[in-house]
Amino acid sequence: MSRFLVERDGKTHFRPMKGLELTAGQVVLTLLGIVALFAVPDITSATALSFSIIHQGILFGLAAVGLNLLLRHTELVSFGHAAFFGAGAYGVAVLSSHYEVSSGFLLLLGAIAVATVLALVIGYLVAGYLDIYFALLTLAFNQVLFAFVLQSGYFNYNDGLSVRVGGDRPSLLGIDQWLVATLGTDPITAYNYTLYYLTVVILLVMLVVTWKIVNSPFGRALDAIGQDRTRAQFIGIPVDRYVWIAFTLSGIYGGIAGGLFALLQLHVRPEPVLFVFVSGEILFMAILGGIGTLVGPIIGGIVLIYLLRLARFYVEYYHALTGIVLLLVVFVLPKGMLGTLPEISAGLDRRRQDPTLLRDDVTTIGASIRERLYRAVSTVRIIIFGVK
Amino acid sequence: MVESLVAHTLNGLYYGLILFMIASGMTIIFGVLGILNLAHGELYALGAFLVFSIVGFLTGLVAEPTGHFTAIIFAVVVLLGSLAAAAVLLPVGATLEAIFVRPIYEREDVYQLLLTYALLLIFIDVMKFGWGTSPVNTTVYSTLNEVPTTELVGFSYPSYNIIVILVGTVVFAWLVWFFDRTKTGRIVRATAINREMSTAIGVSTDRTFTLVFAMGAFFAGFGGAMASIGPGPAFLEMGLDPLVLSFVIIVIGGLGSLKGAFVAAILVGVISRWTVGVFNLPQLELAAPFILMAIILLLKPEGLYGTWGEIE
Amino acid sequence: MNDPGISAAEEGSIERRDILKLVGGSALAVALAGCTELVGDDDDATTTSDNGDIPDEPIEAGLQTFREGAPAVLGLQAEYGAETAVRRINANGGVAGRQIELDIVEEGTEQLENYQQFVEEGKEVTFGPISSGGHEAMVPEIDDQGVVNVATDGTVTTLYEEDYPDTTYSFRFQNHDVMEALSAAIEAVEILGADNIETYAGVNPNYAFGEDEMAIFRAGIEQLTDAEEVYNGTPDLGAPDMSTHVTNINSEEPDVVFTSCWGGDATLLLSQGQANNMLDNTELVVGPVLYGSANDYEEGDLEGPIYSGSRNFYWDQPSTDQWSPAADLFDEVQDEYGVIPTAHFMSGYGAVTAWATAADKAVRLLGRWPEQEEIAMILEEHGFYTPAGYHVMSTDHQGYSNAHFGEIVWSDEVGGAVLEDVNVYAPEEVSPPPGMTSLDWIGSW
Repeated sequence: MSRFLVERDGKTHFRPMKGLELTAGQVVLTLLGIVALFAVPDITSATALSFSIIHQGILFGLAAVGLNLLLRHTELVSFGHAAFFGAGAYGVAVLSSHYEVSSGFLLLLGAIAVATVLALVIGYLVAGYLDIYFALLTLAFNQVLFAFVLQSGYFNYNDGLSVRVGGDRPSLLGIDQWLVATLGTDPITAYNYTLYYLTVVILLVMLVVTWKIVNSPFGRALDAIGQDRTRAQFIGIPVDRYVWIAFTLSGIYGGIAGGLFALLQLHVRPEPVLFVFVSGEILFMAILGGIGTLVGPIIGGIVLIYLLRLARFYVEYYHALTGIVLLLVVFVLPKGMLGTLPEISAGLDRRRQDPTLLRDDVTTIGASIRERLYRAVSTVRIIIFGVK
Repeated sequence: MVESLVAHTLNGLYYGLILFMIASGMTIIFGVLGILNLAHGELYALGAFLVFSIVGFLTGLVAEPTGHFTAIIFAVVVLLGSLAAAAVLLPVGATLEAIFVRPIYEREDVYQLLLTYALLLIFIDVMKFGWGTSPVNTTVYSTLNEVPTTELVGFSYPSYNIIVILVGTVVFAWLVWFFDRTKTGRIVRATAINREMSTAIGVSTDRTFTLVFAMGAFFAGFGGAMASIGPGPAFLEMGLDPLVLSFVIIVIGGLGSLKGAFVAAILVGVISRWTVGVFNLPQLELAAPFILMAIILLLKPEGLYGTWGEIE
Repeated sequence: MNDPGISAAEEGSIERRDILKLVGGSALAVALAGCTELVGDDDDATTTSDNGDIPDEPIEAGLQTFREGAPAVLGLQAEYGAETAVRRINANGGVAGRQIELDIVEEGTEQLENYQQFVEEGKEVTFGPISSGGHEAMVPEIDDQGVVNVATDGTVTTLYEEDYPDTTYSFRFQNHDVMEALSAAIEAVEILGADNIETYAGVNPNYAFGEDEMAIFRAGIEQLTDAEEVYNGTPDLGAPDMSTHVTNINSEEPDVVFTSCWGGDATLLLSQGQANNMLDNTELVVGPVLYGSANDYEEGDLEGPIYSGSRNFYWDQPSTDQWSPAADLFDEVQDEYGVIPTAHFMSGYGAVTAWATAADKAVRLLGRWPEQEEIAMILEEHGFYTPAGYHVMSTDHQGYSNAHFGEIVWSDEVGGAVLEDVNVYAPEEVSPPPGMTSLDWIGSW
């Protein structure tokens, strides 16, 4: 046994670090995922998929991973996470357009700083709230921020700020310039690729960090808070303070993602990053991908952003298309796209062995639709004409 | 000065009562079913589009008003049209509840949000399919203003706004009467307070829930209809802002409280109008309702009249 | 009107060869100017070069515009305009024999992504957007990608003046912003007289466009008169209710009300204004974009002295009685879409025309299909005709053509709003000379 392998329940587990253990299957999936992430530029250049949209999807997905930290473990629904995404994006935009900061590294630090401070403040105010009150209070702070930015000349109103100093892109640790100088890469491609791979590295680091947080005593305490606050309080967990910390951590993910988003778009406007519906979208990405999983929110981010941005190029009724996909997820993939995968593969296996099950499925679905329609009709009748 | 203060206050009441009509539906649904319906704004929009077609048809049947009396007849026809438009929302709401919402009562809250968001997106395209992409205008606003109202007291103010204020107040009174005095209303309240107990005494919760959702849809649609017979057109994204403002109102008022929603709607309406007109702080107009909500939540978390899961 | 093409037409002494010469010598330019009928159908002027350097496949073009919801009032006009220009181009043999295939997409708030997607799909040229903020985000990206975009509308004054003075591939057909707000100030002075304007108020949408328009109107009117600002309301874009601002105007009773509200906001402001007797409490309402909603007013909305601009195009100027290209265009738009064309129709029509005539000119100069860079070079200082008259794409990449201002009134005949007593302002009267910013220039009056 090398020091990376441990034996547990009769199976060999891979252990790259303390507290992080994977089964063989998980190792294969993880490696596949990482390879896919690194290959995105090649995949998109070989297919009709859009590189920049997938990049955007990953960034929103990263914000959703942060939101999921709160959602999955403390069971608090934040409907205001765009506040931090937007704070990160505007942190970058303000530093570059008002202070002429051109180092991508400093810009990103600025994004993290702004988002952290904001998350600390909002988190302090909302940590004691539960359920719908928590959701709507976060929404309120989000919307106040949106209205403030939208009506302020400092942020250039609805037209937003540019993330270029003197027309040039920020430098990304010098890597992009190095690529241009040594390999003769076209500067724009160099920037986009460097930013993408930086995103991937940051994403992987953040995922590992998330894993560590979740499996730390702190993470377990959050789980306890999510299950029952009173009990958590009784066993000595400082509930409000822990929620506050978790909220701030989850805001930082949003800030980093928003900062990278600003570096990708090079122009920041309030509506795409701060509007309250963006908060909703981040939340839905987490649910769509599967809140019970670590990387589900990333998948959810890519899928939802792809639908929201590009469906309009292919179908006339693109809102409905997105809506139908989400409906399918709610009813067919009850644990999200990634979360339901194991169940689906099990179900498919059973049906492969016994095809008659399929016919049963169809009749069940048909019957339930008929039954619901009938109930709806009779209820409407009763509402209108009353009971005889 | 006094005159403009009165006008600003009336503007606020008018705006607030439109918001109340939308928020009342949302607070009923939330109070009884525990569902935060994100598609609620689209039901409002649907009412606005429906009234365009229905009122367009109805006003074709009556002559253009020539005097005060005929203007009143015209206004009555338009209001009946608005009721008819909202009535279409009854079966729509019932169907939504029975087919989409019912299967997920037991699921976590977030799935209800995702589901109703999906419905929101689908509804936008339903309206796009039905009425096209451009805004539509009912063009009865100026005729409604010929109904004599404030000029009787020597004050010039659009009669349409007065009509909305009156209708909104009637809606509130009717809802209070319904939940307080009628048997069905009491059954609904009983179900909201204790589902098991109501089932035990022979109340069909399924049917109650469908009824409540249909009612919520009805009032959203009626609010949309009342807005759309006014000066503004009906357009595809019109549901988004009212949706968010309905959240604000039901939170300020206290979740599930009708009285709270009424007071909160008026507060939000009047304060947002005073912010610009009286306090001269136009840059705060957008943020005012949200600041108000944050303050109230921080000071009085249950809202002005909050009681959990109870309609009163 | 002092441009030669139109005055010649007005005199009725037009010679076929003159038109060809004036309009740029190609059948395409003639067709887009709407002059085909004047020239006659035997068009031997077709300059389609048949050598192998012109690709066979059609030109793939993309247009992003607001097709849905409240801003569709402007966006659909631009779409109709672009479609009409493409239809005319294709009916006349295309650009150097190449037909145009126009893909249209809703711009939403994703202007940047839409442009990127168009480029990814291999579009040779893109048009749009309407949104000024979206356009601002696009400009540097356009220069990076190097696919020419001709914006139909969206710009704030500072975009080409200060933010991106050196752009290569980004153009804008719509008139320089400052023109409409300044002509509003000049028009107000002309109607009421400088001595009679003591107070003014504004109602402007609360984003950069509204702020800019008000700033320029303010600078202009304060240079021309001793007037003082008494109120500036900034309603949210797409606000459901304007009554607060109307009430404030009623209590301040300013001599002039300036509003850059557009689309649904414009109709809402005027109809609530009428219901609250706003026109009894002010001498004059001037609005650069009020006419953009020409199809959406009711008769009662337009009572009182309300004046509107119509940017680079008003369909009845010069009068359709005398100027057949405008008459033909009006009829075509009525038949095809059932609407009155507004300035935003011309935004779409002109954007496509600017690019197509420039590409056509490039082919004739080069004898082959031009590169993006070459088209961009030719577009600078490129002059061309539309039924609205003569336009120049200036060195600052903004379109310049005559601005119109007139009283907006109801017309039963047209079934919508029309302008009366239209004043025409030449670009040099109402926009700064190259290299000068608008506010500096106004300050130097």
